Amino acid sequence: MKTAVVLITAIVAQAFGDVCLTKGMKAITSLETSAGGFSESLSQVSHIAVQTMQSPMVWVGTLLLIVFFVLYSAALSWADLSFVLPATAFGYVLNVAAGHYFLGELVSNRRWAGAVIITLGVLFVSRSGAAHR
Amino acid sequence: MTTAMLIALVVLGGSAGDVFITKGMKQLGEISTLNAGRLLAVFGRAVTNRYFLIGVLFMAVSYFSFLGALRLADLSLVLPATSISFVITTIGARLFLHETISAMRWAGILLVGIGVALISIPAQP
Repeated sequence: MKTAVVLITAIVAQAFGDVCLTKGMKAITSLETSAGGFSESLSQVSHIAVQTMQSPMVWVGTLLLIVFFVLYSAALSWADLSFVLPATAFGYVLNVAAGHYFLGELVSNRRWAGAVIITLGVLFVSRSGAAHR
Repeated sequence: MTTAMLIALVVLGGSAGDVFITKGMKQLGEISTLNAGRLLAVFGRAVTNRYFLIGVLFMAVSYFSFLGALRLADLSLVLPATSISFVITTIGARLFLHETISAMRWAGILLVGIGVALISIPAQP
């Protein structure tokens, strides 16, 4: 039960973190310059870096990914790695769904098929128990 | 450094990282408190645990190899290729952490790996 609560929270935090990061990074605009010299690309990079640091969405996304890593590590203090790692792969499924519903991304049939296969795999893994020795 | 070598570093670095982080967290013992002070103490012990730190270092190696691989090859090759790490990490967990992996769990892990590979191949233009 504890494992389920911790891992589901971790997976949801990761999925929303990825959505926030994507939203934040997509909102960042590049400088309008056609020159390709070194100083131009340097100012381009610093322009993007400054915008990234100032984006609340990027900060929220990063914070959520830190929450994911803390919960993931916590679960590893009692559960098997060979259980926790495939179980958190359910995050890929949430990412596909979140990309579809929140970011308006087009999801191909192959990716939906992948999501279904991952879900099946996670069901198998969860039936095997969190730790047995 | 070839693309294949970099992808191998991504996978092996990530798997080694997970194995070391697990070893470190198992050394700390099961976390079963919601007390903020105790959790903070556990956090302090984790970030000073030798295995945990080695694990984070391996994760960093994996991440920078990933960036390097992306410089040489398309994401559409690199990302599906790294889905093999579910299998490699499981082998590592069995060899170095002595985890028991039942047939049911193996089947699930293989399905997850296949599904992740399918998801990470981008749609054809």
